[in-house]
This record gives sequence, structure tokens and C-alpha cells, in this order.
Amino acid sequence: MSATTNPRETRRWLSELARGHRRPIALTILAGTLAGVATIVQMGLLAYLVHQAVIVGAGLPSLVVWLIPLVVAVLVRGLAQGLQGHFAANASERIRGDVRRNLMASWRHAGPQSLKQESPAALSSEWIEQVEALHGYYAHFLPQMVLSAVVPMIILVVVGALDWLAAIFLLLSAPLIPLFMALVGMGAEKLNQQHFLTMGRLSGQFLDKIRGLTTLQLFDATERAAADLEKASDRFRVVTMKTLKVAFLSSAVLEFFSSVAIAVVAIYIGFGLLGYIDYGPADQLTLYSGLFVLMLAPEFFQPLRQLAQHYHDRAAALGAAELLRARMACGSSECVASEAAGGEMTREGGAISQAVVVKDASFAYQPGLPVLDRVSLTVEPGQCLALCGPSGGGKSTLLNLLAGFSQPDFGVVSIFGKPAGSTPFGWLGQSPFLLQGSWADNLRLVAPSASDDDMIGALEKVGLGPLVNQRARGIHSAVSETGHGLSGGQARRLALARVLLADYKLVLLDEPTAGLDLASQRILIEGFRQLKLAGKTLVLATHHQSLLEIADKVLTLDNGGSVHA
Amino acid sequence: MRELVPWLTLIFRDKRRLVVGALLILLTLVSGLGLLALSGWFITATAVTGMLLAAGIAAQLNIYTPGGGIRLFAVTRTVGRYLERVYNHDTVLRLLAALRVTLFQALSSVPGFQRQHLKGADWLARLTSDVDVMDTLYLRLVAPTLLALLLTGGLIAVALFVYSPLMAGFVGALLVLAFLLSTAALHLRNGEVARQRVDGQNALRERLIDQLRGQAELTAAGLLAQTHEDLARQASIWSTDQSRLGRNIAWHRALSGICINLAVLVALWVGLELYRGGAISGPVAVLMPLMLLGMAEVLGPLPDAFGVLGSTQAAARRLNAVSNAEGGEDRGRHSDTAGGTQDASLLLSFQDVSVCREGQVVALEGVTAAIRCGEWVGVVGASGSGKSTLLDVAAGLVEATGGVIARGAGLQRVAYLEQQTVIFNDTVRRNLVPDGRQLDDALIWRTLALVRLDERISQIPGQLDGWLGRLGSQLSGGEARRIALARTLLREADLVVLDEPFTGVDAATSAAISCGMRQYLEGRTLLVAAHDASAMPEVDRLLMLQPPRGE
Repeated sequence: MSATTNPRETRRWLSELARGHRRPIALTILAGTLAGVATIVQMGLLAYLVHQAVIVGAGLPSLVVWLIPLVVAVLVRGLAQGLQGHFAANASERIRGDVRRNLMASWRHAGPQSLKQESPAALSSEWIEQVEALHGYYAHFLPQMVLSAVVPMIILVVVGALDWLAAIFLLLSAPLIPLFMALVGMGAEKLNQQHFLTMGRLSGQFLDKIRGLTTLQLFDATERAAADLEKASDRFRVVTMKTLKVAFLSSAVLEFFSSVAIAVVAIYIGFGLLGYIDYGPADQLTLYSGLFVLMLAPEFFQPLRQLAQHYHDRAAALGAAELLRARMACGSSECVASEAAGGEMTREGGAISQAVVVKDASFAYQPGLPVLDRVSLTVEPGQCLALCGPSGGGKSTLLNLLAGFSQPDFGVVSIFGKPAGSTPFGWLGQSPFLLQGSWADNLRLVAPSASDDDMIGALEKVGLGPLVNQRARGIHSAVSETGHGLSGGQARRLALARVLLADYKLVLLDEPTAGLDLASQRILIEGFRQLKLAGKTLVLATHHQSLLEIADKVLTLDNGGSVHA
Repeated sequence: MRELVPWLTLIFRDKRRLVVGALLILLTLVSGLGLLALSGWFITATAVTGMLLAAGIAAQLNIYTPGGGIRLFAVTRTVGRYLERVYNHDTVLRLLAALRVTLFQALSSVPGFQRQHLKGADWLARLTSDVDVMDTLYLRLVAPTLLALLLTGGLIAVALFVYSPLMAGFVGALLVLAFLLSTAALHLRNGEVARQRVDGQNALRERLIDQLRGQAELTAAGLLAQTHEDLARQASIWSTDQSRLGRNIAWHRALSGICINLAVLVALWVGLELYRGGAISGPVAVLMPLMLLGMAEVLGPLPDAFGVLGSTQAAARRLNAVSNAEGGEDRGRHSDTAGGTQDASLLLSFQDVSVCREGQVVALEGVTAAIRCGEWVGVVGASGSGKSTLLDVAAGLVEATGGVIARGAGLQRVAYLEQQTVIFNDTVRRNLVPDGRQLDDALIWRTLALVRLDERISQIPGQLDGWLGRLGSQLSGGEARRIALARTLLREADLVVLDEPFTGVDAATSAAISCGMRQYLEGRTLLVAAHDASAMPEVDRLLMLQPPRGE
């Protein structure tokens, strides 16, 4: 996975995700704008009431009628704000659902082989946590970005209509705020980079020590570790505060302009109402326009303040997006036309071959370094072929081609006349699938109509009978109880039981006995013999001597070349 | 709320910092309220004065004091906000340090803690995020709530003394309603779903990890797309529940805002009536509504905190469970130690020792063995036969559930190398001598030479003080194993217990190390386990372990 960061690409990726869900986002922005307009109406009516009562001296009963639009404005404002949150949540939920589906699709395209490079914990953390990190961006930051342009503009127009000088005050502050905030942000970022190594080392200390807790206890090192943790946390605090003191200046800038604008507007209007100002539109000021402008001034800055509050959502989303985008790009680049080369069936003499055939297959992970070079083989139904050779010689690669997990660069692979991977087959590798459930659940996964007796029979054939009988509910008891899973050997035997039950025509085996104890190995090998007896076609990649004995043919792969035996 | 008490107690240890931080927030909020209200007062006053002057009536207005006040509020709001953020963040970071150290000390005081409570790979990540939630407990929940109550009370008092009881009544009722909507009412609605957030997430994660591990098999069986669809559906259900939390927060904030704005309206109306009645002046009538407009900012942070209070409670509950963990379940307390051994040359003896885990899973069955001082004993057996469990018992990490273990007088300390390699993100020195005791560098280098790592370490920048792990020098699997082995050997112990010491180490290096170990461990007793006699140093005696029944 490439580690190059490309912020522009990442931002574009984020926008593209939003493209498919324009409606809820647009509704969010619309609701927010409506709330802004209702706010303006509310402030205007309040100012009007005061002006009428205090300056014009209108009687209160005559003003009662203005209460109705005022209450309506308040209610509309509340409703619009609620709807804004509602649609924002909608948009975020849908987008995250899409990303999760796309991520899984990219896993399917990448195939089991490339995914082996990553730990399941890291991949699942991406799928769960990193996708969650996108929430704040789509629900809060994105709509607020638009609203911080739209609403202040509307307010500016209204203020401009009331007093253009006040509007100019507000207008001047608008570009200055983002400018200063950006300057400060860059400074904070630079400080961050300086301390990157220190911070990285300090921030992981807690997790690190907990992870190694048993070791620390065994070596009587817990007191020392606690003291180290305290010191590290303190240093972390000191270094973090250095950066934060600068970063917080950016919000101070926002507060400064906002507060100063209110003060300046207030004093300007005050002096204008007293008649001290004889230039500009000051002589047209009334209590109504003055109060209205005053109450609109903080609302002018409010969207920007809210945007600043959600700024860290953007940073978190950008970080997550980079990881996700890289992951999905990885997946799709390996998606070499999966319908591809397997299609052309070896129609030799018109008959469709019923064997497993590989013809002149070549594969290279890196151009110029072929792992397989024009390898050909034929496995008749019911035969067993063993692939052996040194690690890295191409056994696993060839097995993957037969499985349809990857496509050959050249050549053709066909399984009983069909492309590789087009019909279900058995796969016995080193990390079998364990369903969180009962033994029965695990077996029925591949054989939905299997009876209890069938399942017990299969389990006994792989030597798991006693283990299952030990459990209270037999095959209906959970496979992994109280956090104790199955041992490596037991899990692979379960997978073998599945293969026996599912009755596949082809079974591929990837070093099935590697890392197992003798007892498990014996049982597995016996199981493979049974498969052969039952007429299944087997291809296994292995070093193991005993396995080679059950093979009818042996193919040795060594740096691309192949030697039949 | 009870589960939060121990954490709040911890947080409130440094009262001075909390009070200063709260005062800074208060300064900022009051300045904000004051700025808008005073400006409104000022404008109304100047409007009235201006109108009188225009009508030829002599009127006076002190414009300098309010003008100065407005400028002052503008400055104190800005400065207050900055100081508040810096100071409170510093407090939060201190709390974080204190919380983590306290939690670490609690966990490390329980022997064998990790073995018993390690439920899944995400346990650690969850622990960390739970602690992170606690350190903002004060800043996001407690302080804003107390300040909101304080300012609400203040405004009601102002309404009562400056205006009228009627004003105080209406304003009070609406503000309290707004407060309750932002806090208690929201928590009541969201509590249950918020509490289950992490559990749902973990269930999803477990299913996902299962699927990822078995991707090859699932693809082969043609079940992958189906499995993915099931997962996507489950994620969507979880996601919808969580979205509901956000929606409720938005609606409650909106409702609370309606209450505040209605309070503004009512305050204005009542104020104008008082003005008409001559009780107060026009400018004063404007003060209250404008201050109430500022209350939106005061109540602002509350819905976000109370909307997720349920998950904060769940986090506190998990942390409580973990830090109050007992060392060892009560399995009908089997006393496995029969005091000392009769034979002085016997260091450790097992008599028909069994270890039974939860769910009747037998890990070790009926083992009888005796280890003499200075002896080198090897244990071989298939996977699942209980080698590691036997070593755990020997090292005192696990208690036997059956049989008798006798420990000789010469057995004071044990050095144990577990099956899994642990390397700390720390210096080489700290990895080799975790308890930090003073050791001659020459001894350390001698041990590194024994495990054939002296050259490798001398190449690391900083050598013994160089950094290992992430953001440092990465070691290969075999190198890491040898560091762990060196760590075990450096520990002064009578009995050295090694579980598969040469995992990931090639045969030639293993042989060389085995040779050197004889001289290094002169006089010390060695108990080593591996799946094969060739994967361990040459021992005096070999124990063959049979798998317990059921395998």
C-alpha cells in the first residue's frame, strides 16, 4: 500500500462520495439557510417592537399583532435547525454505508491473497473506525462550509440595506478571519512536525505497557513502568501544549474579530443615533435599524464559529479518507478483468475438457521477475497433484491461479471446462473460517441441508467427535466457549469436515499441515486420502513428505520453471 | 450515575485547577452576555437621548462608561476564551496522565491480569478510548452544566430584582425547561442506545475479523458476497441506531433554542409593559432579552455531552470492572502448594497436577514430575498437550486446580520467557532490564553476544539507548525473540523457564546460543518447552507430555 499523501486527491475523493447523496446534503443546507432567514426575521421583529414601544410610543395592545409572526419565526427557526440535524444525520449514514459496501467490494476484488498482507484487526479497524471518522465531515463540516458563505451573505445584504457603513465593517472582517486562522494553522502544523517523533513515542506508552503487562509483572517491573508512564505523560502534556498554544490562537482570532465587530458596530450606532456622526448613512439610523444591525452582528459570525468548532472533524476525515482511498485503490488495481483469461475453454477437438488444465500460465508480481513462466499441467478428475518447491518458487501463486484468486498474465486456466473460481470448491489453507456460532452453524454454512447425523459423522471422521461430545449441547454448543477458541489443528479439522460435507468436486490445499502437531497432521492426511477415495480432485501445495505420498503426480516449481515427476 | 463517581473523585483531586478553569469559562460567558446586553442598552439609551436632543430637550448621557464597558467586554471575551482553552486543555492533559497512571497501577496490581481479562484483540483499544472519554468528563459535562445552572440562576435573580416577579417567573420557567430539554430529557431518550454503542461495535468487529481470516475459504465456497451482504446489513442496523442519537441531539437542541427564544420574547414583552408602567427605562427593558439571547451559547455544549452520556456511563462501568478486577476466579480455591519439599536438592515437584479452565476445558492432566536444582529439563508435546500451561504453573502464573506442587527453599525467583514475544516501544536497555535496576553494561553486552545480537544492536543509533519498536529500529521476528530471551537470562533467578525460546530463529543460530547457554546459566535450573527436542538446548532430561483426554 502506497504511503504517499495526496491531499488534493483525498479531498476530491471525499467530494465524490457526497455526489451520490446530493439530496440529503442539499436539504441540510436548505434547512440551515431557512434557520438563518428565520433568525433574521426574529431579530428584525424584536428590534421593530422596541422601536415602536420606546421611540414611537405606540401602545402595547396595538403591537400584540406583531407577536404572531415573532412566535412563528421562533418556531420556524427551531424546526429548521432540527431538520438540519435530521438531514445531516441521514446524509452521513448513507455515505458511510456506501463506503463500507465499496470497501468490501474492493476486498473481494483484491482477493484473499493480497489481503493476507494486512492484519484482520487493521482492516476491521478501517472498516469500522475510519469510516466512522467520516461522520463529522459530512454531517457537520461540509454543510457548515456552505452555510458559512450563504448565511453571512444574506445577513450582509440585510445589514447593507439598513446601514451600508456597518455592512462594510462586517465585510472587512470576513476575509481577514480565514486569512489569520490559516496563518496560525500553518504555524501550528509546523510545530507539530517538529515534535512528531517525540509525540509518537510518548503517545503510545500507555497502550504499550498494558499490552506487555504480564511481562512487566513477571520481571517485577510494574513500579518502574508506572513511574515511566507518569514521566512520559507529563512530557507529552508539555510538548502538546506548545503546539496547542499556537493552534488556539486561531480560535482567538475568530473571537477577536467577532467581539470587536460587535463593539465597533455598537459604538458606531450609538454615536450615530446621538447625531455625532455626519458622514455616511449615520443620519438615517433609527433604534429599529440600530438594534437590528446590532443583533445581526453576532449572527454574522456564528456560522464561521460553528465551522471552526467542527474543524477537527475535517482533519479526522481527511486522515481516514487517505487510508480508505489507498485501500480501495489497492483493491481495484489488482482487479484485472476477473472474467478474463479463464473463459476460453480448451476445446480440443470440440470436446470441453473435464480436467483441471493450466496452459502456458505466466505470472509476475513485478515486471521482469516472473514467478511462473509458461507452466502447464493437467489434472484428470479424481487425481491428486502435489506442487512442491522452495518458498517463493511459485506453489502458492499457481494455487491462487487455480482458485481464481488471481489471473495469469498470460495463459489459460480452466477448471472442468469453466473459468477458475466460477464454481464453488474446497479450500484448505492455514487460516480457516470460524463462524461465531455452534458447530452445526459452521458446518451448515456450506451444506445447508445437512442433517445432524451427517454433521456428527463428518466431525467424527476428522477426529473432533470426542471434543464435541464433551460439550454440553453437542454440535449445537458454541465452537469457541468463554474466549477459548480452537487450536490451530482443531480449526483446520473443522474446515476439513466442512469440505467432506459439502462434497466439492475440487479441493485446493495450501500447506494444510504446516505448523501442526503430529496427531492433527495424521488425521488431516487420512482425511485427504478419504477425499481422493471419494473421487475428488485434489491439488496441494506442500513441503510435507507424507502428503507427497498420496499424490498421483508431483510438480516441482522453482523460480518460474516446472518439472513434472 | 454511580459508576462515574470514582472517576469524578479522581478528577476532583486537583480542585484548584478545576475552579480556576471554571472561572475562566465563566468570565468568557459573562463577557459574551454582557457585550451584547450592554451594547443594546447603549444603543437604546443613545436613541432615546438622540430623540430628546432632536426635540430640543436637554438630555445627558454618559457615553464613556458604557463605551468603555463594551470595549472591556470585547477584550475580556477574547482573552478569556483563549486563556480558558489553554488552561483547561492543560488540565485535561494532566487528568489524562493521572487517569492512565492510576488505571495502570490498578491493573498491574492484579497478578495474571492479562491472562484472565484479555477478551479479544480490541480490548486494549477500547480501554484506551474509555480512558480518553473520562478525561473530558469535567470539561464537557460537569463544568458546562454547573455554569449553565449558575447563569440561569443569575438571570432569574436579575429578573426578580431589576424587573418583576412575573418576569422572573416566566423567564425562570422557560430557561429551566430549556435546560431540562438539553440535559435530562435528552439523556432519557438516548441513554439506552448510547450505552450499547460499543457492544454493537465489538460484535460487528468480531464478525468482520472472522470473515477476513477465512476469506480464502469463503471465496472458494462462493459465500463471500453473501457474507459481506450480511455484514453490511448488520452494520447498517448499528449505524441507524447511532444516527438516531445524533438526530435526537439536534432536535433537543432546537427545542431548547425555541424555549430560549420564547423567553426572549416574553422578557421583551414584560419589560416593555414595565417600561410603559414607568417602572423601568427603555434601555433597561432591552437588557434582559439581549442577555437571554446569549444564553444559547451557555446551553450550547450541553446536548452534545448529555446525548452521549449513556456511552460515557458504559465506559466508566467497563473501567470500573477492569480496575476492580479480582486476581483469579474462585474455582473452589484449591490449595496447590504443600509447603516446601522434603528433599533439599529438589527445586520443584509436581504431583498429579491438573489445570482445568472454564467450561470444563482440561488444559493439563495428571502431571507428575520433579526438577532438581541445577537440572536442565525439557518438555515436549503436541500442540494442545499443555506445555505452556505446565510452564505457567511452574512460573506461578496459573494456579493448578488439582494435584500438589511443592516448591523447594532454593526457589526464590523465577525468570519466565512466554511463548509470545513482547518488545516494548522503548530503549534497548529498558527492553533488556525492564525493572530499571543498575546493571554493568559489560554484562548486558555479554548477554547480547550470547544471543548473537551484539552486532545488530551496536549498529542501532544510540546502541543500548537506541529506540526499539515503532518509530525506532524494527527487529525481525527472530531478533525480537532473542531480545526477549536475553531479557529472561539477564534476570537473576534460580529457575529459568523458557517456552519455545527459538521461534523464528534459524537452526544455526539456535545451536550456537544453546552452546553458550550452558556456561552462562551455570548453576541455574532450566525448564524449557518446545514441540520438538531439536528446538531446545540440550537438556539432561526430557518429559513427554500427552494431550489431555478429548483430543
